[in-house]
Amino acid sequence: MTLEMVQASQMGMKALGAGLAVGLTGIGAGVAEMAIGSAAVGATAENKDVFGLVLLLTVIPETIVIFGLVVGLLLLF
Amino acid sequence: MLKPEQMSRLLIVATRDQMGPVVTELYRHNLFHIEDYVEAKAEGYEGFKIGTPLAGASEVSGDLVKIRAIQNAISVRADDLDSANKCTRTELKSKIERELPILEREVEELTVRRSKLDVRVKAFEQKIAEIKPFVNIPVDLDLYRGYSGFSVFAGYVAREVTLSVPCEMYFSKGKEKNFIVVIAPVDQRSEVERALQESAFQALPIPEESGMPQLRIDYYSGQISTISKEIAEINQNLVNVREKHAGFLIACEEFLKAEVEQTEVPLRFATTKETFVAEGWVPAQQVDAISDALVNATGGKIFVAVLPTDLEHDVVPVEYDNPSFAKPAQMLMDVYSRPKYTELDPTLVLSIVFPLFFGLILGDVGYGLMLLVMCFGLRGFLKGEESAQLLVVLRNASISSIIFGLLYSEFLGFALPWKPLMFSRHLKIGGGEEGGHGPAIPELMIMAIWIGILHITLGRILGMINHSRQDHGDHRIKAVMANFGWLAVMWGLLMVIWSIAAMPLMPDFTTLPKIVMGINIAAFIGGVMLIVGVVLIARDSALEIVELPTIISHVLSYARIVAVGLSSVAIAMVVNFIAIGMLINPQLEKITITGVLFIIMGIAVFLIGHALNMALGILGGGLHSIRLHYVEFFTKFYKGGGKKYNPFGMKRRFTED
Repeated sequence: MTLEMVQASQMGMKALGAGLAVGLTGIGAGVAEMAIGSAAVGATAENKDVFGLVLLLTVIPETIVIFGLVVGLLLLF
Repeated sequence: MLKPEQMSRLLIVATRDQMGPVVTELYRHNLFHIEDYVEAKAEGYEGFKIGTPLAGASEVSGDLVKIRAIQNAISVRADDLDSANKCTRTELKSKIERELPILEREVEELTVRRSKLDVRVKAFEQKIAEIKPFVNIPVDLDLYRGYSGFSVFAGYVAREVTLSVPCEMYFSKGKEKNFIVVIAPVDQRSEVERALQESAFQALPIPEESGMPQLRIDYYSGQISTISKEIAEINQNLVNVREKHAGFLIACEEFLKAEVEQTEVPLRFATTKETFVAEGWVPAQQVDAISDALVNATGGKIFVAVLPTDLEHDVVPVEYDNPSFAKPAQMLMDVYSRPKYTELDPTLVLSIVFPLFFGLILGDVGYGLMLLVMCFGLRGFLKGEESAQLLVVLRNASISSIIFGLLYSEFLGFALPWKPLMFSRHLKIGGGEEGGHGPAIPELMIMAIWIGILHITLGRILGMINHSRQDHGDHRIKAVMANFGWLAVMWGLLMVIWSIAAMPLMPDFTTLPKIVMGINIAAFIGGVMLIVGVVLIARDSALEIVELPTIISHVLSYARIVAVGLSSVAIAMVVNFIAIGMLINPQLEKITITGVLFIIMGIAVFLIGHALNMALGILGGGLHSIRLHYVEFFTKFYKGGGKKYNPFGMKRRFTED
């Protein structure tokens, strides 16, 4: 194995890691938001005033994927 | 600014015969938020009763119901109309007496005729559905009925049937179901039934018709099309009615609604046999104007007084008090929750920071210009106050987006002819010729973190002000200090980080002299701040300690400003590369017929790609900017839950006195 090959495979591993970081956290956020989102829609149908509150609750798990994205970007750049 | 409109509690007492003029005057001013009188729990109101509606209430509401029925029938809505020419009250009154009954009869006749015709169409369609299965069997429908020695079976079966009894059988194979008709002697009926049951027989009724099935279907279809023509004619008539009378109907509705509200308002007052008492809220600046008007209207036979406001027990209605440029952002506040009367109103901050965030995310001259054009274009279509406010918010956001686009040097993913004045977001896509030196990711990230730190610090400072205003006694100091504690933990943590690692755009404390155990002065101060902060938080509520990690997660959450923005830049660049780099450019060198096709495809990719990316950009830019406010910013100081100031009266659009 030459040095270039090692470097290239390191780059590839980094890209793979970044992809996993974004993809898996995306799935995680999606799973978490699934239940909250459906409950939020139900609650809003009952009482429109809670819209702001349930929007807030729905987006809380989104932070997971933002962390994934941060990790991904830090890996790549 | 940063505070809701100041309100005064107004008490109005007068004799009952003055109720009419008082109500009219209050309604005209559209300022008095009535505090409903509730018999059961009103203190100091012993012997009072809820009032009764003024004279003429039932006639007016009857007319209103009629008007609304007509409006429904011809589907007219106030929001679809411009308030061009206003009608006066007297004009409307006479018009209602003269024209309303005629119009009502006309519309009712048309709608009744239409629904009768609809019923007939339904009946014919039902008949067609009944005959349809028999179409493939060339037998007159008369021949299915009227036998005494034979039974007729008709229906669907799952597969072909073979019968051992003597019978006449028609079988037609269909795509999903097979249709079968069996005519067998009556005494063999049970055997036939059994055989049919075995192939999952579903019986169908035999249509009460005579003639060949196809002919009957043609006849009914013809009937339906003539009736449909009649219905279309009626609909056209209704459209004509709408065009002719829409303005009148809307003005009538507004007029009658005002009348109904005025005649029914005594139901919210406390009354005795001879007097009535109304309590409510008026903006403090308007108290004099409204009191004078009431005194004038009643010739002095009224008692108006300002009652003291008890901030702890009174639920004071909240009206925003913002400079005009911040007013549209009130819509975004109402989506979350209206501020309480004693609370800081963050609309002003929101109206400035929201467009900034939006611009930072969707910083692109091309998309900004398109969004701006869209806002002005939609103004003609979207009527109503809320959509107008939304359009102004979007307009501000798009202007900010254009400005940041100039700074980022971006136009639909291409670079403008200058280097980015801020940190570059140009990615290296397609070999790097568009990209230049690549994006400045670390700098962008740190910028986002700085925005987060400052935004959250502002939130905590506002939180300290809010607690010092709203809370009392011991808890007040503890709550204020807890907010200070959160700030101390955040900045202490930052000091520690700065003393460990050097980062671009951040202070570098790594070179400071070490004082004890390899810890330098900045890290020491940071550590002390952290511990003091935690103690202060715990003193207010020990449970809050588990929330400590949110300091990091909330600050990092601002990284979305960069992340979402970069993803939209990436999509734009990829679209450009596919459309121009891969499809159009290679073909332009030597134009052939297939080459032209490729170029057209490239243009389609370019248009669709950018349209999609713009939609995503608006959604992403808008939602993430507002979310940063709702989740990261508001949770630091804002509770909301204020009661909306809803004055007695209306904004007249179609009528005048």
